[in-house]
Amino acid sequence: MSGSEGARVSPAEEPPPQETRREAIAFVVAAASWLVPGLGHALLKMWGRAVICFLTVGVLVWVGAGMRGNLFNSRGNDAFDSLGYLADLGTGGFYWVAKSLEKNGPDVSRADGDYGTRFLATAGVFNLLAALHAYEVARGRKV
Amino acid sequence: MIAVKLSHFQALVVFALVISIAFGFLGRRRPIDRVKYALWTLLLFLLIGVGIGWAMYPFSH
Repeated sequence: MSGSEGARVSPAEEPPPQETRREAIAFVVAAASWLVPGLGHALLKMWGRAVICFLTVGVLVWVGAGMRGNLFNSRGNDAFDSLGYLADLGTGGFYWVAKSLEKNGPDVSRADGDYGTRFLATAGVFNLLAALHAYEVARGRKV
Repeated sequence: MIAVKLSHFQALVVFALVISIAFGFLGRRRPIDRVKYALWTLLLFLLIGVGIGWAMYPFSH
């Protein structure tokens, strides 16, 4: 066997161009879904799911901010702060909405504020779950 | 910004309701399946939430 034959890549190893394109579209859908909750599903023409994702994240953020929950930032002191920040970032654009809603800052000295923190974190984690769902649908693995 | 004042139970109900509806829509396709799944999830959220509340009750006294 010559050297040039050995370097040749078998066609079976390369993903077909259609598959590569689908993967790229799925990635864009997931990113859109993260940035604006429900946008990924809207791009896939799943209107019901798009509206529900947007409303769910919106309501959780609104209630969480209204209860003066803690919105974590990147300057966390420990692992829990960093995890909280990751969860809050999951809301995408709603992170800044929550920030603008909480004009008086968080107040976790009461149970309300503590619950608000959980509402905000849940909104982020739910949005990440929805983005993953949109990604899987775009890849054709889910319906 | 409107301050949201909820009791512990109201917060549990709002949370359970919103998440159950979202799970129903994401997890199922047919409308009837979505309703069934959302109701089932809501029931479990409430039962488990209240159950855990009662399980912790002796430790608060």
